Amino acid sequence: MNTPSDAELLAKWREEPAPLLPLLHEFHERDGYLSEDALRAISDDLRIPIADLFGTVTFYHHFSRKPGGLAHARVCTGPVCALLGANELLAGLPHAHAMPCPGRCDEPIPVLDRDRVLCGTTVAELASRPSPLPPAPHPDIEECVFAHIRAPGRATLEGYRATGGYSGLENALRGRPGSLLDVIDASGLAGRGGAGFPTGRKWRAVAEAAGEPKTIVCNADEGEPGCFKDRALMDYDPHAVIEGMIAAGFATGAARGFIYLRYEYPDTLRILETALEEARGAGLLGPEALGPGRPFDLWVRRGAGAYICGEETSLLNSLEGKHPFPRNRPPFPVTHGYEDLPTVVNNVETLASVPHILVHGADWYRGLGIGDHAGTKVISLSGDVMRPGNYEVPMGFPLMTLIDDWAGGAPDGRKIQAVTMAGLSGGFLAGEDIDVTLDEPDIRSKGSFLGAGGIMVFDDSRDMIEVAHSAMEFFAEESCGKCFPCRIGTQRLTERLHGDGPPDIAAWIDEVHDLGDTMMQTSACGLGQAAPLITESLIRYFPDRVSSHVTESA
Amino acid sequence: MSDNSGNGTGFDFEITLDGEKVGVRRGESLYEVSERHRKEIPTLCYDPRLDAFGACRLCIVELDGARNPVASCTMRAEPGMRITTRSARLDMHRRVLMEMVASENRDTDVDALSGYASQEMAVLLDRYEARTGRFAGARSGRSRPDDDNPFILRDYENCISCYRCVRVCAEQEGDYAISVMNRGFETQITTEFEGLLGDSACTFCGQCIQTCPTGALADIKALANADVPGETKKTRTVCPYCGVGCSVDLLSRDDKLIGVQPAMDGPANEGALCVKGQFAFDFVQHPDRLAYPMVRGEDGELHETDWDTALDRAAAGFTAAVENHGRHSVYGVASGRAPHEAAYMMQRFIRGAFGTNQIDNCSRA
Repeated sequence: MNTPSDAELLAKWREEPAPLLPLLHEFHERDGYLSEDALRAISDDLRIPIADLFGTVTFYHHFSRKPGGLAHARVCTGPVCALLGANELLAGLPHAHAMPCPGRCDEPIPVLDRDRVLCGTTVAELASRPSPLPPAPHPDIEECVFAHIRAPGRATLEGYRATGGYSGLENALRGRPGSLLDVIDASGLAGRGGAGFPTGRKWRAVAEAAGEPKTIVCNADEGEPGCFKDRALMDYDPHAVIEGMIAAGFATGAARGFIYLRYEYPDTLRILETALEEARGAGLLGPEALGPGRPFDLWVRRGAGAYICGEETSLLNSLEGKHPFPRNRPPFPVTHGYEDLPTVVNNVETLASVPHILVHGADWYRGLGIGDHAGTKVISLSGDVMRPGNYEVPMGFPLMTLIDDWAGGAPDGRKIQAVTMAGLSGGFLAGEDIDVTLDEPDIRSKGSFLGAGGIMVFDDSRDMIEVAHSAMEFFAEESCGKCFPCRIGTQRLTERLHGDGPPDIAAWIDEVHDLGDTMMQTSACGLGQAAPLITESLIRYFPDRVSSHVTESA
Repeated sequence: MSDNSGNGTGFDFEITLDGEKVGVRRGESLYEVSERHRKEIPTLCYDPRLDAFGACRLCIVELDGARNPVASCTMRAEPGMRITTRSARLDMHRRVLMEMVASENRDTDVDALSGYASQEMAVLLDRYEARTGRFAGARSGRSRPDDDNPFILRDYENCISCYRCVRVCAEQEGDYAISVMNRGFETQITTEFEGLLGDSACTFCGQCIQTCPTGALADIKALANADVPGETKKTRTVCPYCGVGCSVDLLSRDDKLIGVQPAMDGPANEGALCVKGQFAFDFVQHPDRLAYPMVRGEDGELHETDWDTALDRAAAGFTAAVENHGRHSVYGVASGRAPHEAAYMMQRFIRGAFGTNQIDNCSRA
């Protein structure tokens, strides 16, 4: 195969929607790095000032600016993998470098080798395998998004249709958008990426907002450490996500959509692209997708390694080829989203729930939750448990039942010392507070939040200072650098957890509280607002360990 | 008389500002309304000429109904909002933010000749009593002593990543010469490929210097005069270099010109200058400058003389030219480096004395 020229690559992408990221990836793949010449060619062609383009490229973790850089393996050194020897594995791989959690905590330790994900805890074990399916469900529990995920061939259009796929959409397309909105409203479906905003209300706001074309964005930038549910959904049920997006397009009057996929899911990228081709071939996407003369089409855009791009406005800037700082809100994406036009941004799990709601009805979905809580939630459980994996639970389900009864509890008869919530963003729960039910009100009453549903378990052999330090180091590295409290605060908290703070415990705690308080109340986005939950919960649950840490460091 | 009641002309609706109902024009930010009422809300990333950015978070205010304080610079006023610009909580956050900012820089105090806004951080550190040394740790920013351009000091160890320089370069000057690289605490102001300003799209207009609130970007030419004795005096005038008419403040000590700063309220430039208006002032005190009249002698060389002799020689030459070739044989070009008064005299002289309109100025472009 001939190596494509600059001109060919530029011609291929310049008229496509959101062309910058795919163009950068094409040059990156072709040359093995992003050369100055490549960036100048792209800058000239897309008319992006070269200084801006250079700065933006350096924002992303995975774009290499050195010859041969792309070929260097990246090893996960996230909180779970660090427990299993990630640093030793990293040392054993020549030229490899560390990367933040790439969402394979149910099968550690992942190594990204160009467009393959290898897994294994030693160099000899490393092998490329399909990602793990969710464990078998508990017989007494009814699933929603995982209901058909284990059916062989569900990822193909044929397999998807064989298990009822696209039937809900086809019904909905025969009705009015307003009826579809009513169903989503009535189901109680709320954002499963962490914010919990009612999906029906978001769609309705976009449907009513002025400005065309409207856009549906699927946030598949699953960057929160310890979260890997969206990967499972997209790998094994990609058409459910596509069907949910088409339904959102019909409900809101949108004509286009993007799946913004995190860089670290190369297998998922291929699966999604195959599924989109199938859907396009079947006319589910394209010029008549929503009815005669009513087009709808979807594109996948691959991120390049930046946790903050999971924040919806940062994601939108990234899609638009801008520096991925979060935007100031208001205005919100429902009125000023992609290209400043009305835009739905929904999480993968939220969108994947929609086809099931369309088939079974709003009442069915609402009834899946326990008590007043509507629907289900996928929990990515990892760390010190016998059976890590993605578990779909009713909203309001007891966490300890999930950990002990479903996932086998801590290995080797050890006791559980702490769990994280919302991946890392919710900080720790420990002691009696672990006994929560999996819903926002109960978890928030403990000063944390459920978020996207990543829960990492740490048994009593783990040093919580070390865990907290690596968590804060992650936030510091991923802080975008825009707002002062987060940019400086995550750095200062990391230093204090490393042992560089004041030697006096009272002064140490005073500084850490003041930093945390100001970060939580004045940071511009969720990253800086949530990061101090790590230190606050550490001080709350492990005061003696904090005290000995400060004394030892003095 | 101004009308702040909201009932008179000019306002679209009212909000409650520190307990008082005030008028608001649609589209105004909470910060803009508060500033009109002299609330003196602190800021570091704010420059009224630029789009509000929301980085420093010092401009937070309490908004009724919002759990956390909101950044007043990026929040538009909406009818009925109730905000508070001073409270114990706001003061505490502002002090902590200032302590955080101070902890990342090598110097918190820089020479005022560094630039127009260079004292902003130091003033706020005093106002919030934030020189406590708390939050000590790594410092951010790598200075660029290798950039040997004669105009702009790039001392990023004193940078607080407010991005006013990047934004003024893009939004005001349209050069897009500088940008932000990396993330978080590793954030660094850069040119394309981390090069020198001279190899970038930079036009050395100096606007980045004048908006920098810490002196991390500083005026090398003005700082060279830091040791000149005397009080700094500002004299408002108009830049003579071209026809735009940018307002400038000349900085002087005794009779020595030590620097130039753009007038932020200059009607033609609103704080903008070009490389000439900003930096090309040292001819005034240059040793090569003529300090006395000279005439060419029989030997073909110039010799010092008195004014009467010199003017007689010039008058004789002009008179001979007009007598031999007519009044339109004279063409006058005034120098952009001459004072405005001299330029005016020049055109009066050419028009009045010779009767020709052949008068021009090198700044006409």
